[in-house]
Amino acid sequence: MSLLDLKLLRDLKALKSQALAVALVMACGLAMMIMTRSLITSLETTRDTYYHDNRFAEIFARLKRAPNAIAAQIAAIPGVAAVQTGIALAVTLDLPGVIEPATGLIQSLPEQGELILNRLHLRSGRILVGRESTGEILVGEAFAEANNLYPGDKIAAVLYGRRQTFRVAGIVLSPEFVFEAPPGAALPNNKTYGVFWMPYKELATASNLDGAFNNLSLRLAPGASESAVVAAVDRVLQPYGGRGAYGRESHPSHTRVRDEISILQGLSIGFPLVFLSVAAFMTNAVMSRQITLQREQIAILKAFGFSNWEIGSHYLKFSLVIVVSGTVLGTVGGVVLGQRLVEMYHLFFRFPALQFQLATQVVIIAIIVSMVAAIIGVAGAVRAAVRLPPAEAMRPEPPSSYRPALIERLGLGRVFTATFRMALRNIERRPTRSLLTMGALALATGILIVPNAFRDGIGQVLDYQWDMIQRQTVLVSLIEPSAARTLADFRALPGVVLAEPVRGAAVELRAGNHFRRIGLTGLPARAELYRVIDAHERQLTLPPGGMVISAKLAEVLGVKIGDALSVRVLDGKRPEFAVPVAALSEDFAGTAAYMEIGALNRLLGDGDRISGAYLTVAAGQWENFLRAIKASPRAAGVVVKNRIREGFRETTAQSIGLLQQIYLTFATVVAFGIVYNSARISLSERQRELATLRVIGFTRGEVGAVLVGELAVLTLLALPLGLVVGSGFARVILMSVNTEFVRLPLVLTPANYAFAVLVVAAASLVSALLACRRLDQLDLVGVLKARD
Amino acid sequence: MATATPPSVNPASSVFHARALAKTYGDGEAVVRALAGVDLDCSEGEFVVVLGASGSGKSTLLNLLGGLDTPTSGTLFYRGWDLGGADEAGLTRYRRDAVGFVFQFYNLIPSLTARENVALITEIAADPMSPEEALHLVGLGARMDHFPAQLSGGEQQRVAIARAIAKRPAVLMCDEPTGALDVRTGMAVLEAIERINRDLGTLTLIITHNSVMAGMADRVLTLSDGHITGEKRNATRALASSLAW
Repeated sequence: MSLLDLKLLRDLKALKSQALAVALVMACGLAMMIMTRSLITSLETTRDTYYHDNRFAEIFARLKRAPNAIAAQIAAIPGVAAVQTGIALAVTLDLPGVIEPATGLIQSLPEQGELILNRLHLRSGRILVGRESTGEILVGEAFAEANNLYPGDKIAAVLYGRRQTFRVAGIVLSPEFVFEAPPGAALPNNKTYGVFWMPYKELATASNLDGAFNNLSLRLAPGASESAVVAAVDRVLQPYGGRGAYGRESHPSHTRVRDEISILQGLSIGFPLVFLSVAAFMTNAVMSRQITLQREQIAILKAFGFSNWEIGSHYLKFSLVIVVSGTVLGTVGGVVLGQRLVEMYHLFFRFPALQFQLATQVVIIAIIVSMVAAIIGVAGAVRAAVRLPPAEAMRPEPPSSYRPALIERLGLGRVFTATFRMALRNIERRPTRSLLTMGALALATGILIVPNAFRDGIGQVLDYQWDMIQRQTVLVSLIEPSAARTLADFRALPGVVLAEPVRGAAVELRAGNHFRRIGLTGLPARAELYRVIDAHERQLTLPPGGMVISAKLAEVLGVKIGDALSVRVLDGKRPEFAVPVAALSEDFAGTAAYMEIGALNRLLGDGDRISGAYLTVAAGQWENFLRAIKASPRAAGVVVKNRIREGFRETTAQSIGLLQQIYLTFATVVAFGIVYNSARISLSERQRELATLRVIGFTRGEVGAVLVGELAVLTLLALPLGLVVGSGFARVILMSVNTEFVRLPLVLTPANYAFAVLVVAAASLVSALLACRRLDQLDLVGVLKARD
Repeated sequence: MATATPPSVNPASSVFHARALAKTYGDGEAVVRALAGVDLDCSEGEFVVVLGASGSGKSTLLNLLGGLDTPTSGTLFYRGWDLGGADEAGLTRYRRDAVGFVFQFYNLIPSLTARENVALITEIAADPMSPEEALHLVGLGARMDHFPAQLSGGEQQRVAIARAIAKRPAVLMCDEPTGALDVRTGMAVLEAIERINRDLGTLTLIITHNSVMAGMADRVLTLSDGHITGEKRNATRALASSLAW
């Protein structure tokens, strides 16, 4: 080892805690980068392999009923490579020991062989094959796990109005249900919604669809045009109640995975960039100070004939040690966080095996990126050091010059104590350093705002959705639209206090070139239980001759109040008509369109019908009500509001909880690192000054106050700035998830702000106190004797 | 406080009262006896110059008298207050209330003006003079709002003196106060110290290796190898302005 390297080791030892502080901040950025990039790789490869191996379809369609022979017509469409037809039905489940019913989707298995498309992956038990009615069922894993179902267990299902008991034959996964949730749901609720499969014959018999299908998937031949095939499929299915085919990009499960990957992509760049910039700044501060302290050593080395390159690389090596430690810590952190996140993804996404794969090329990129950050950090300081002629470097640096701070020049200085003035002038003398320190602290404060803004936003959406809009106890849906008098049957169920009808129809809304397929909801003009709310949180009255649509839907369709929408109904008698937009409603999950139920029924032209009802049920009669409704043959689905709400709350608590931990750790590391480092540098630069104060009678506490005064001022300035920055972060991130499917309002509460301020203030205080402990080691006599 | 009063003298009658004062650094083979048993009494208003080569122990003596360090053995009283047994907080209080320091390299706070450097002390002192008054005493009335970087070495040292005396200390300790200055500016600094001693009656201790300063003193102590090896009283004190080196 060369003696310069030995010097490097000893210098590092002396600066170990500062080097560690820099390495930790760097590690945060790298951990985020390694974690996100690795997760993207893991998700993408796992998804692609799964889709490929299990032959996930590319185009999907639902219809009312078509004879099985139509499948051949579909297969004959140019560009279609493979077709899978089957039956998909809504189902209500009755689980042993669970009072509230769950709902789900049940699909058929082919009569011969395996599914051609969307093949199942068996987790446990066995796959069902053949024509025979077996009284057995396959259950999607997420639902099975949430409800502790195992092969051999029995569950009761209400299928097409008939209650039957099935034995669980196997637990399975499907590429169609990586995100196992009802279409349009922002979060899964695996306790109350599941997916199931059973043999075709049994399902067809139960649903009067023998010899027919109502669900279709297909794969495209290489090079085929998706839109052309979609149009052709729609033409073929039109007479059979086709509800419009769509590609993978509109597939609810696929879009969810895709959106997650795009969020990770955003995080994998923005976050690390910010952290590595802070680390570069910290490296620069540490190295500048180190080089200033070693000014004379550098001069002597140069006087003895060491080249600029040798000296320069000596200090570069210093920062490389920091980079390597940061990378090691960051990789470990990235792997640990990545594995935790993969566990969290298990809440949302079901793959045969989602393993965290460390993307090794990312580690190499991470090293290069952080090396560049560190080199940028040291370059200036090293350049200044090697440029200095030896003779000049051997003389002490000229005394620092100061001037009154701006605030004093404005005449406001009178009220300040001498120590406070010292702090102000020090801040102003190094404006870049002060600004960067403040910026880093503001950043630490800001990133704490984000997860809590998410939590509060979701909380508000849930409250809005379940307290403002939907005030029912349950929603009961019917197998098929039935005569309005069915409502009276619901009213007669035990415990029902209020019952209001709802009529739904699948429609295509079109305005100019824009169109959307959506469920159009018919409600009483001014319902009590399902209230249509505007942006001012006022209930809207549904007019007799107009449609109320979500503001987001109006934006997507490019219409405003008064514009006409052409409506094409996708089932029943398939009427087409035009309706003006009467008002805009405010909602957060998905988009919606509403009409007064009487007006809708008139336009649909099949009489006065309802598709279901919103009910409030008296608490004391709850169990009686559930027994009655589970036994009711007409109820296709029963959605219990509080159950869904609880499920949402659990899932969000788990996922936001992990995010909060990550952000909290990172913010604490940054706040701690930056304050500790600044205090240490300040201590080194001003030890003479501080020792003087001790000698002339300042107590340790008073000198400590002088040391951290500057940082306290910077922290106090940074905190409000951080709240502004954090609100901005939250806004940008929420905007990026503001899609047609999910929107989150920006909710910034005083509690959120207070939490961020407290965490950063506490981290700063603790690190300042740690740095202050070094004041005890101040050599009063030695410092005073030495020249600067 | 003067519980360990030796019977022969009354420590309360002198400002400093030291007996067998010793300080060693390190231990084992590396032990250094910086001060090897010093007896010393200093009285109010006295002007004492301590001469010695480097390594003679003069700085150690000043550190002990100034409350910057504690003796290894022996006794040291300041007006009956046992400094030898004082703790960290006690020494801080002693320095804060009783001692003014002037150092070779001024040690001003670069971010504070001359006036503010002095005010730093007057803010924490019990009965200070105003910073302006202190600066007038050292002849810097006109440069009060300059920062250290804008002052010459001699001016900086005079600010340091003003800072030391603004709290009306009982003792003024000067460690090579002209060490970093040329003759002419050094002279101005010594004149300022002389004036403080004369006008305020502050017990003044100067430690230096420059024997020319001995002429200003009431008493001159010579230190070598940690012992007082010479003590001389001047019948008349020379004026600082008459010194030359």
